[in-house]
Amino acid sequence: MSGANTVSARSGKGFFSELAAIFRGGDAATRLTFLVMGLGSLVRRQFVKGGLFLLSQVLFIWYFFGFAWQYLSKFTTLGTEGMRREWSEARQIFVRTPGDNSMLILLFSVFSLMLLLGFVFLWRASLRAAYRAQLDARAGRKPATFQEDLRRLLNERFHLSLLSLPTLMAFAFTILPTIFMILIAFTNFDANHQPPGNLFTWVGLTNFTDVFWKDPLKAGTFGRVLGWTMIWAVIATFTNYLFGMVLAIMINQKKVRLKSMWRTIFVITIAIPQFVSLMLMSQLLHDQGALNMLLKQWGFVSSSVPFLTDATAARITILVVNLWVGIPYSMLITSGILMNIPKDLYESASIDGASPVRMFFSITLPYMMFVTTPYLITAFVGNINNFNVIYLLTRGGPLVTDYYQAGKTDLLVTWLYKLTVDRQNYSLASTIGIFVFVVSAGLSLLVYNMSGSARKEEEFQ
Amino acid sequence: MKQKRALRQPHAMLACVLGLLAPLALLLPWIRQGGGSLGGLGLLTASPQVLALRPLAFFGALGFLFSLYALFSKNRNAMRGLAAAAAAGVLAAVYALLTAKATADASLTLAEPFFVSHLGPGLWAFGLLALATLVLSLMALRQPVAYVVLSSMAAVWLVPVAWLLLTAFRQEPGAYTPYVLPRGYTLMNFSRLFTETQQFNFPRWYMNTLIVAVITCLVTTTLVLMISYAFSRLRFPSRKTYMNVGLIISMFPGFMSMIAIYHILKAVGLDQSLVSLILVYSGGGALGYFIAKGFFDTIPRSLDEAATIDGASKNLIFWKIILPSSKPIVVYTAITAFIAPWVDFIFVSVIMKDNYQNYTVALGLFRMLEREHIYEYFTRFCAGAVLVALPITLLFIKIQKFYVEGVTGGAVKG
Repeated sequence: MSGANTVSARSGKGFFSELAAIFRGGDAATRLTFLVMGLGSLVRRQFVKGGLFLLSQVLFIWYFFGFAWQYLSKFTTLGTEGMRREWSEARQIFVRTPGDNSMLILLFSVFSLMLLLGFVFLWRASLRAAYRAQLDARAGRKPATFQEDLRRLLNERFHLSLLSLPTLMAFAFTILPTIFMILIAFTNFDANHQPPGNLFTWVGLTNFTDVFWKDPLKAGTFGRVLGWTMIWAVIATFTNYLFGMVLAIMINQKKVRLKSMWRTIFVITIAIPQFVSLMLMSQLLHDQGALNMLLKQWGFVSSSVPFLTDATAARITILVVNLWVGIPYSMLITSGILMNIPKDLYESASIDGASPVRMFFSITLPYMMFVTTPYLITAFVGNINNFNVIYLLTRGGPLVTDYYQAGKTDLLVTWLYKLTVDRQNYSLASTIGIFVFVVSAGLSLLVYNMSGSARKEEEFQ
Repeated sequence: MKQKRALRQPHAMLACVLGLLAPLALLLPWIRQGGGSLGGLGLLTASPQVLALRPLAFFGALGFLFSLYALFSKNRNAMRGLAAAAAAGVLAAVYALLTAKATADASLTLAEPFFVSHLGPGLWAFGLLALATLVLSLMALRQPVAYVVLSSMAAVWLVPVAWLLLTAFRQEPGAYTPYVLPRGYTLMNFSRLFTETQQFNFPRWYMNTLIVAVITCLVTTTLVLMISYAFSRLRFPSRKTYMNVGLIISMFPGFMSMIAIYHILKAVGLDQSLVSLILVYSGGGALGYFIAKGFFDTIPRSLDEAATIDGASKNLIFWKIILPSSKPIVVYTAITAFIAPWVDFIFVSVIMKDNYQNYTVALGLFRMLEREHIYEYFTRFCAGAVLVALPITLLFIKIQKFYVEGVTGGAVKG
């Protein structure tokens, strides 16, 4: 057992040195496994395992050269032959000859490269299996049978059974699309370069330089949208958090009765889908909406208040409506934690004569900040990406001409969405997406590591 | 004990004084018009009477009596009465304000059209005095003043909900009405959602969403439990790397990859189908494994170790130890996964495009509010929204405790 473990294990050595060790220590069958997967296992009479390895190699080679190569070979250019429309004298019509499809080339190339990576891991697994079987045979032990291998999948190697399906799904629906879109940022895939009619190709860092400084319109829009995104995220996160906590403290007071009723009233508003409540709000606050109608009828204003159509007013409206949306969430989350603050802290503080306000700032707030840091990060990143509130209330408007396809209340994500769905400017959208990712991931990792909850992972088990 | 039950003194006195003053506001001008003004008493005794003023005068008088009684007896019950009268007075003032326009138009003959902005200082003074009396009497009774703040906040939060409900039952069509309460009530908005399916096939969308939600819920819960157990309890090479990659990947904005997902689904022939929705929602939901992992982390490891010594495999430990003690997180995961398809309209719009038969309710309702439909369909939109919101609300209220435990499960013990 120990022999097998020291070899198959164990990381410290690195990918290549481990393979080298296997090659040095392996006999002929193990060495041949470098070329023919599963051979080492087959020789040691592990037929099912070895057979599966061999089958996967055959299938992979068949896929890779039979199908994927036609796309992979064009990966560097993303296709050279556009679709052709030629006048056919014989049939008296334009005949379309389909050319290369840049998008499919890119998509299948990324997919095949990922598959190749997966295959390399499988290949290493077959080598490890061969070597282990060889060592077992040399030590006079019987190599593991297929049943034993299966049993190990429910115990020592349980992580393999648990994680393979989620990993596959993550590859299909998260990693593959993400890599694809990252690559798109380095191409000129937009409304004028749309497959299958047209080709798109690599343009290097042009999109990034355009959006950061070269193209005055795009760069100007980007800077101002980014500025508003940051202002929005900071204000929205902290107002919601503070007011939510104050609300929770009010409900949690010892003397307040019917606690669960109060909580339920606010929770109801969480449960109503946001697209419903926010669309109602936008109907309510519309220039010709119910609120303006009422205000005019009552004689408080003579013309409609531009709640959603004036840049500054719209920004304030959005922040206020977001309080309506967000306070119940933070109330619900903080009230659970508030009850967990050790009571003796407050008791000793009140013996020392501390006022309630003092206690809030010296005990409650520090404790809450410490415990809820992960929640605050998620909330902040969530607000950077807060699509619903902005899109459903103003659709990013009011639109202005010195912005490129964006409005005064657009966040980076709503701008990204409009660029993708309305304008098909995929390359610019991806560039912005990468930027949003860098900002939110950077912030998250920074604060996450500072907060200590990562370091303490093992401690409280 | 006795000390605690006694009234808090300066506050009680002040409350009584304000309670005596409040009804005097009836003598102030209530409606300014032209050069002169109409006082509260004048309005009350006018014929026909202004009805909205009656409760206001009644509660004012009641508060006056309780104040006198409390001033001389120092009685707790008198103070309770004063607090109740003051609360009712505040409500009556708000009601009078909201209905001022309607009542003035209906029952007064004024020189010029009435606007709420014409209200004189009388109503405002009455309302503010009643509010101050309420706050002070609560303080005198050593009851939390938070009640006042909580009730007004609750009102603000419930107004849109109330508007949604009222509109769902409103008889008149249109996006809004120039008055607050509907003129007529009906159930037609609901029944027409299910009978008039030519343009908006609501029943079919409802079924679509239900199917997608149930399957997504099962798949997501399974995936999340698998991932979190592996990350929390199993130690294997490159576990940390794996987790960090997961964390980083989940930070890419979902919109960015949306189009790519659409093309991938199209490449395998699954675009515009319900299956694709299930796959996308499950894949997205599975990324939320952090919360469940945090919860598993708090289950004492000693339990696992004891079981391992008894010869239990990792698989058995999951079923016999971890799963039974993680009911909250299972419920939380399941419910959030179930809710997702009901509330998302973005992914569904990108994936379904114009495949109208496979819409979910969210997208269908979203389409109802497009400019050309809004006049005819707004009340039906509200009715449909109620039908979506109702089950979700009930589920959510049932799990709100789990929700908190779910979100904070890992963090609290830290």
